[in-house]
Amino acid sequence: MNWSRRAVLGAGGSLVAATATGVAEARIMPKDMVPLIGPGYRAVDQDEKGMSQQMERVEEEISGSNLLIKDPQLTAYLGDLIGRVGGPAAKDMRIYLARIPEFNAAMFPTGFAVVFSGLLLRMRNEAQLAGVVAHESAHFLRKHQLRQWRDVRRKTDIFSFLAMGAGVAGGAAGIYAGDLVQLAQLGTILSLLKYNRTLEAEADAMGVRLLADSGYDPMAMSETWDQLIGELDLSAKYRRKRRDRDFSLFSTHPSPESRMADLKISAEEVKQPGKSYDAYRARYLTALAKIRPTLLDDQVKLNDPGASQYVVNTLAKDGWNGLLRFYEGEVWRLRNSQKMGDEARAAQGYAAAILYADAPPDAWRWHGIMLLKSGKRAEARAAFARYLQLAPGAPDAALVRQMMAG
Amino acid sequence: MRRVALALLGSVALAGCVQTRQYADVEFAPPQGDYKLLVMRPDVTVGSVTTGGLVEPRADWTETSRAKLLAALRAQQAARGGNVLIMEKRNSLPGIDPEMIAELERLHYAVGSSIALHKYSGAYLPTKRRKGLDWTLGEDAVALGRRTGYDYALFLHAEDSFASTGRVALQVLGIAGCVVGFCAPNIGGAGQFAYASLVDLKTGEVVWFNVLQAGSQIAGIKMGDIRTDEGAAQMVDRLLDRMKPGRNVQRREHQP
Repeated sequence: MNWSRRAVLGAGGSLVAATATGVAEARIMPKDMVPLIGPGYRAVDQDEKGMSQQMERVEEEISGSNLLIKDPQLTAYLGDLIGRVGGPAAKDMRIYLARIPEFNAAMFPTGFAVVFSGLLLRMRNEAQLAGVVAHESAHFLRKHQLRQWRDVRRKTDIFSFLAMGAGVAGGAAGIYAGDLVQLAQLGTILSLLKYNRTLEAEADAMGVRLLADSGYDPMAMSETWDQLIGELDLSAKYRRKRRDRDFSLFSTHPSPESRMADLKISAEEVKQPGKSYDAYRARYLTALAKIRPTLLDDQVKLNDPGASQYVVNTLAKDGWNGLLRFYEGEVWRLRNSQKMGDEARAAQGYAAAILYADAPPDAWRWHGIMLLKSGKRAEARAAFARYLQLAPGAPDAALVRQMMAG
Repeated sequence: MRRVALALLGSVALAGCVQTRQYADVEFAPPQGDYKLLVMRPDVTVGSVTTGGLVEPRADWTETSRAKLLAALRAQQAARGGNVLIMEKRNSLPGIDPEMIAELERLHYAVGSSIALHKYSGAYLPTKRRKGLDWTLGEDAVALGRRTGYDYALFLHAEDSFASTGRVALQVLGIAGCVVGFCAPNIGGAGQFAYASLVDLKTGEVVWFNVLQAGSQIAGIKMGDIRTDEGAAQMVDRLLDRMKPGRNVQRREHQP
């Protein structure tokens, strides 16, 4: 046999190209997404049992982590939520809330989910949060982690034999096959990511359906993606960078734009005429009232002004209040760019915040400091007095009193 | 052809290996006589190596191995005369909050990782040179000792894995390839990894640390098997039975 090396490489290259681009990313239909597990599901197969045994240890660690927010009311609220959108396994799923100021949530193969506090901050209503939780539930209901593992295992198995076979065949024919093997490896990685994107699309399609079935407005999911795109763009712009656009090839998730488009079509599809859908905004605000200041505080302290401003403005679409105005001021005070006039912008934020009855005590404090800086002593004194009245036990009360006197 | 066979024989002879490497506090004397030892819940994982080289955890093997290791540990400690409690769960100690045990386990995980990095992985610290083992769990460990009356705590971690049929077949192909000049006689992938860490509950210090690695570069050849009684006893023996005293203690022993 007399193969030229170039011919071998060419063939390998086109093989890889076929795996990467040959399959069009068709939208997955919500109606096709039937749950693969029922209530009280237990691992059946050997690989699944091994996985769930390890996950029991992981859950033990996560449930005991000091990163968790353990407020009983909030925990119960999240438990009820997954109980509504969790499909047939709703009663078996657990949800843990971790204090991490990022837009993320994860589902584990034994049916427990971890939701990051940054997600709660960004959601405008219960339907949006339920959408993310429904998406995560779908990963469990469709056995995604197990299917992903089996896919990885199968592909690495095939790759190993191909690589070894190519070496042996090459050795026999006197051809060096190293380059070919590397191409095959790239092909394996690409097809692994492809599978992962398919699973994400499945979870989106099923999530929309679970959402609508439990009476939530299924459009909420595409709104969430809309918000994520806006936030990433603004965050990147403020840092004079571009949002990562290389989503399509080396990424485990489909690009936010294509996800959003698919979600919109799917949402229209699952809506039933005559049925009413709600976003449950009031219920969401009540449930979050106690921790919202903490959530906003964690976010502005990330020093990602683009993202923080986007989050504040997004929440303000449902109406400004004292808390949002105060944190708007905080975003600029913490960025502290003289060129952009951040101090003046911060002062405006605090001045606007105190016009609302729900302004936090700190808004009065910072309003006072800004007034003092601009030489308005009498007005500053009044603001400090209000601060001390609202927060008599404040750790800096003595200092503030001195500022009033001096 | 003879050259290939010789090379292959050479690599086979070199491929299998069992090694342990231990470090001790300079003043460490192996516990003897009437000591009270608390064995923290052993962290055991046993899996199968897939054809592609991934380790797939096996629940049944893990359960069996854990039970066999605990039995082997009991037998070994009984022979040494120590008074031992093996914690099978975090709440195995009456009157001690399982959360306290969990915290100590997490702390030890962090300290143990630091020991692994700076003593075994090559990132040696100049500040710890010639100091033997110089790490501590601090007050939390001392508090546990005070509340329970135990002298030492032993932390154990064990992993074992076995080549699947597919992996062995791949190995056979790799060896067969040697005939045509493409030789992959040692794809490996299976084997044991374990460590033991002894903490003095009076001072909180990690006084002794040992790492065991056993494996062969040839998929299909086992250097131990903790799923069996003998294999579990062998691991406990390799890991714990030859505790060496610390440098200062050894020096004093050797002085006339």
